[in-house]
Amino acid sequence: MTAALATDAAAVDDLVRASAGHMRRRLLLDRVARYGLLLPFVVVFFPLIDLLYWISETALPTFTWATLTQDQIGNGGGLHAMIIGTAVLIALATTIATLIGIAAGLYTAEYAPPAIARLGRTAGNVLAGVPAIVLGFWGYFLLVIYTGWGYTVLGGALTLSILMVPFIYRTSDLAFSAVPASQREAALAMGARRYQFLGRIALPIAIPGILTGVILAMAIGLGETAPLIYTAGWANVPLTGLFSPTSYLTGAIWLFYSQPPDIGLYALAFQAAFVLIVMVVAINVTLQAVAEHYRRRLRGLFS
Amino acid sequence: MREVPEGQPIPPAGPAPAPPAVPFSASRTPLVQWLLSPIALIPLLLVAFVAIFLLWKSQLVWFGPSFFGINYFFDPTGLQPNQFGVTLFVVDSLIVALPALAIAAGLSLAMAVSIVVYLPPMPGRVLTILTNLLAGIPSVVYGIWGYVVLAPYFGSTVQPAIFGFLGWIPGLGGPLSPGGVGSLLAIFILIFMIVPITTAVMRESLRSVPHDLVEAGLALGATQWEVMRRIRLRVARRGLWGAAFLGLGRAIGESVAVAMVIGASVWIPPNVYAPSTTLASFIFYQLDSSFYYPVLLQALIEFSLVLLGLAVLLNLIGQRASGLGTTVVVTGGNGP
Repeated sequence: MTAALATDAAAVDDLVRASAGHMRRRLLLDRVARYGLLLPFVVVFFPLIDLLYWISETALPTFTWATLTQDQIGNGGGLHAMIIGTAVLIALATTIATLIGIAAGLYTAEYAPPAIARLGRTAGNVLAGVPAIVLGFWGYFLLVIYTGWGYTVLGGALTLSILMVPFIYRTSDLAFSAVPASQREAALAMGARRYQFLGRIALPIAIPGILTGVILAMAIGLGETAPLIYTAGWANVPLTGLFSPTSYLTGAIWLFYSQPPDIGLYALAFQAAFVLIVMVVAINVTLQAVAEHYRRRLRGLFS
Repeated sequence: MREVPEGQPIPPAGPAPAPPAVPFSASRTPLVQWLLSPIALIPLLLVAFVAIFLLWKSQLVWFGPSFFGINYFFDPTGLQPNQFGVTLFVVDSLIVALPALAIAAGLSLAMAVSIVVYLPPMPGRVLTILTNLLAGIPSVVYGIWGYVVLAPYFGSTVQPAIFGFLGWIPGLGGPLSPGGVGSLLAIFILIFMIVPITTAVMRESLRSVPHDLVEAGLALGATQWEVMRRIRLRVARRGLWGAAFLGLGRAIGESVAVAMVIGASVWIPPNVYAPSTTLASFIFYQLDSSFYYPVLLQALIEFSLVLLGLAVLLNLIGQRASGLGTTVVVTGGNGP
């Protein structure tokens, strides 16, 4: 009896020891995963840091005030015309895309029957996945050749706006959908009409959310080259009107990167890249600030 | 709980929940709804407009019998018959896009697992912001970085190293490309352009695994890693595949950065180091010369239609599988 008990106890003891070893191994594996999976962050972000560092290091020594205020002259000069061109292109495209995107997003979230809303959302994602070069090609045929405008700021901005629409559309849709039902019911109980509810209650709540989409779309538009090269053309001097061709920062990189290193245009490519990076970082910081504000506001509404 | 993002009420990415049906002046809305219904379909109309306009411009010629072939031969003088085989470019695109996708998907999966399970919310947020920054860097900037910084380094160090260690694998042997430009460099650059979207979609897929399944696993004494491998990855499988398709669509559509680093040789490269081309980058850098040759322009229109079709197809598969779209990179995750 006692002997049997003793063997049982020994067996249990063995089992516990074995499973403890097993447990240690499992926990070790968990720990390996926890820290090992951090490695990819290094793999991905180290090159990013290298890129940022390299651009600054290359562009800054020759970066002067004249870089920003001079037009491109011969084989040198500055980025003045390109900065203006980029600013005008982005401003125009953002305006167009915002009007279209908010209207479509509002309708999808508020009015559209479920089937149509679903179709709209799917199509929005598809549009975001259409290659930029295809849009550029389309813009070239429609806005440069077919309309007879030639290379114009307007053509470039319209092409760019198509590219930006899905992002504003998607965030508007989400922002209007996220308006709490309690707000809607309160408006209804007070006898508000739908447009009154949308205009006075839903819109103020949704605006920061929409704004994140707009800022994001600006960042996307800022970085595009392919849709602009064959629609907005190129010009060394600042644009004179909506129907004149223009230069832009991304174009400077594409056109000058393969120039011989000893002429000024080559340096201009790096300076354009540097200005672009600064803009992108600034836009991202703004984006985070607005998104944080929006998150707080929504949380406040729900509690 | 860690995996629930802050700001609970923000709806998860994917189809937004329909607003509650509240009868706002029900007698008048139907007509208004009917009249305005195309507004919700603006994105669809835009896609259709682009496709139809290009189809119309292509005049549905589908460039001769050789169009779907593998040969490309363009003679500007017109003395010899032209051959515009689109298959060549699709194959070249895949040679670049698939390896880039494989590497990017692996990196993204690890990053998504880290952010969803292991990292505290704050570092997770910071890394998500950094990933968004990665998506925000203009593709030309990647291109110039690749051409000026990476190409010489690839030529002198990376190519010989890969050749030395893995030269026995078919496609990794053979002559190196001394300047460094070529498919390998394009693959490397593309990784950074795919990672943001695959990471975002994978992150959302892993987050959307029901909490009761995860908690059941943890309650049984499984470690986080075991729950990840046996429960989360299995449940989120479709979403992860969807991420891969969305990433592939992105990789195939990239034109500028690839055009800057791939070396522009129209052929099927004998190995991964050799200069090559892709469908998108070919359209991009040939557009200039096509202005003088209507025949070439015609072929490019049809190439761009094939590219559009491929991108839309991959995007639809990816959306179908993951329930998320391309725009999720920015609008999903940490709230709108």
